[in-house]
Amino acid sequence: MTKVDQFESAFRAASKTVFEYQPIAVRSILVITDRSESEADVFGKQISDFLSVLRSDGSPRWRIVNGSEFDTVPELLALVEEERPDLICTYRHLHSESWRWPYTLGEYVDVLAQVTTTPVIVLPHPDAMRASEHAVKDTLAVMAMTDHLTGDAVLVNYAARFTEPSGKLFLTHIEDEATFERYMGTISRIPSIDTENARRTILEQLLKEPKDYIRSCREVLEAEGLPLAVEAIVTKGHHLREFAKLVEKHEVDLLVLNTKDEDQLAMHGLAYPLAVELRQIPLLLL
Amino acid sequence: MAFPDLQEAAHPEVPFGTTMLFAAILVGLIASMALEEKLHAKKSLIVGIFAVICLFLGAVLLPLPFGPYEIGGQQIHLPVYIPAIDWGVIAIILGASLFVDVTSKSGLFTWIAIRLTKSSRGDPLKLLWYYGLMTVAFSAVLNNVTAMIIVGSLSTVSLSKLDRSDKLLGFLLIEGLLTNVGGLLTLISSVPNIIVGTAAGISFVTFFLKASPFVAVATVVSLVIGAKVFGIRSLATREERAEAARLVDGFDENDGIESEAFFWFGAFMLILFIIAIATASVTPYINDLGMGFVALTFALVMLIRYKHEVDTFYQTIDWDLLGFFAALFVVINVMEHAAVLALIGMGLERMIALGPSLGTGAILVSAALFSSVTDNIPLAAMLAKIISDIPMAGGGIRPPTDPLWWAVIFGANLGGNLTPIGSASTLVAVTIIHKQKIPLSFVAFVKKAVPFALAQIVLALIYVLFVM
Repeated sequence: MTKVDQFESAFRAASKTVFEYQPIAVRSILVITDRSESEADVFGKQISDFLSVLRSDGSPRWRIVNGSEFDTVPELLALVEEERPDLICTYRHLHSESWRWPYTLGEYVDVLAQVTTTPVIVLPHPDAMRASEHAVKDTLAVMAMTDHLTGDAVLVNYAARFTEPSGKLFLTHIEDEATFERYMGTISRIPSIDTENARRTILEQLLKEPKDYIRSCREVLEAEGLPLAVEAIVTKGHHLREFAKLVEKHEVDLLVLNTKDEDQLAMHGLAYPLAVELRQIPLLLL
Repeated sequence: MAFPDLQEAAHPEVPFGTTMLFAAILVGLIASMALEEKLHAKKSLIVGIFAVICLFLGAVLLPLPFGPYEIGGQQIHLPVYIPAIDWGVIAIILGASLFVDVTSKSGLFTWIAIRLTKSSRGDPLKLLWYYGLMTVAFSAVLNNVTAMIIVGSLSTVSLSKLDRSDKLLGFLLIEGLLTNVGGLLTLISSVPNIIVGTAAGISFVTFFLKASPFVAVATVVSLVIGAKVFGIRSLATREERAEAARLVDGFDENDGIESEAFFWFGAFMLILFIIAIATASVTPYINDLGMGFVALTFALVMLIRYKHEVDTFYQTIDWDLLGFFAALFVVINVMEHAAVLALIGMGLERMIALGPSLGTGAILVSAALFSSVTDNIPLAAMLAKIISDIPMAGGGIRPPTDPLWWAVIFGANLGGNLTPIGSASTLVAVTIIHKQKIPLSFVAFVKKAVPFALAQIVLALIYVLFVM
């Protein structure tokens, strides 16, 4: 009965996941800082200029929080609950000097990213001077990154919403090389499976699905009249190294990534090291 | 006169006891075929063992024609089991299955299947009709098993995508039953057709013209009953229709096409293949070479595309089926020499003697009942041999239009719908059903299939007796 499986596989392969466009409304933005009121306003103005793309469907309501308004995580969460914003903008290590050591996001951002369902933009720390030259100016180059792009319409919709008209939207899918090699190592020990054939066909299929999905994204976004140039980046490699390389190569202004994991309370396994290490550009954590 | 006297009169060289011994072996073979699933053995092995036993006992007890054989005026030494095999039938099956296998690599069949799915806009009732008609068409052009595999796989994937897996049992069952209806459409649609058609001298075109009205009516009746029994209805609201259309739009019919040029070549060759097979009996030189030559030639032409990896296609050939045929022809040949076929023929003659209507009807019904519990191929092979040996009332050769041939063809094909083991394609349908973890016992299948099978057999009786 091999043929039944062969044809089922052929039909499953032909059954594509179609991208569904869903406009993202950002009507209220909460900017959280640990600065004085005047410094917070300056920071807020900078963010407002950086996110000018959000004015395309009316000006959103901005609320700038300064350092004197909260001292603890519960106080910050109460503020967020009170405002119920559509977007939070902040930076790492609020009320802390730990930004000097690039090993965590700081307790506030850690909790914010996981407790609230509101997307959080994490900006380069104002004192760290680590921001890229092109960072926090505009969103002409936005990159959605994941290791599982197919079907992730929310990620693509957010990335598209934050890309300026005539900007570039990079839809990026990186298959983890280490995981792939581990499976191939197992397959190479099974006599009934042709290892070379398995390596070639599995990799082809793994990369084909996100490519097909990106094609669908491009078609739908074009049909919706969004003036974006969608670029596909689908490859295999070391997650962290590949993404860091791509961010630098394409001078990405905003990196969009998922952080919620259904199975755990902590941040998504791939998102945390990326959020910690990519400190030179703003990150939109969903 | 009693049977022993009649039999010994017809075959004085074979004692009645010997005939009965071989008849018992034949019964054993049929019982083993019916229990194939229980034995966990492939049919080529089962029949192969019986062929070895028959040949050995035949060599000891029967006057087997050990040769040399005179072929084209030359004396040629061949083992007795070589001329026993109908190589024309083997060539058709080998060539056609190889041709279909290579052609399917072009993505042609999946393209047709997905286009039909998309044009249904995901409406369950439309899907049932489209898949039903596709099953009949594929069964006619390809073979029943391949048709069931293609349409059954697609049904599984598309109904799951449409979140209608609760209707999967109905779809698969109806498709399984329609493969045997579609298998009646042309001379090459099923093996019983090839065997009986070849023995009767029925041409491809005559077969199609005679069988197609019945196939059309039986298909419509089966689909109407199926939609009612399994509660398959059209979508009621505009929202449901829009959602279903959006889901089926996710299918990409071009996904399986590796090369557009090969796709079109495959489509062209398939049409040419059907034309070549249809006209083989009237095309000069080709009519001498036979349909097997046509099938093998087309298979080889298609294989040119994969010239460096033809061995992978040879691996996919159903050697079990071919081995089964070869062994079966050997068994039947020995049975002929043991006068077992003559004995059965006498029984059939009594049935035929019931009259042109009652006799033909009895043959059709008994062929259907017989093929419902065992493979219809041995039945067809045996009956074809016996009927061609039974003399006509006024003498002479039995013409291709004789209702007896058609009674065997209709009975052998449609009987497969009574039980899950009655035909290879219904067995494939049940395998897909079980693969999807849908419980369906032997008895449950029979309960669900009997209304369809009875309707089809009654229609066939009316058609053969009053229309043909």
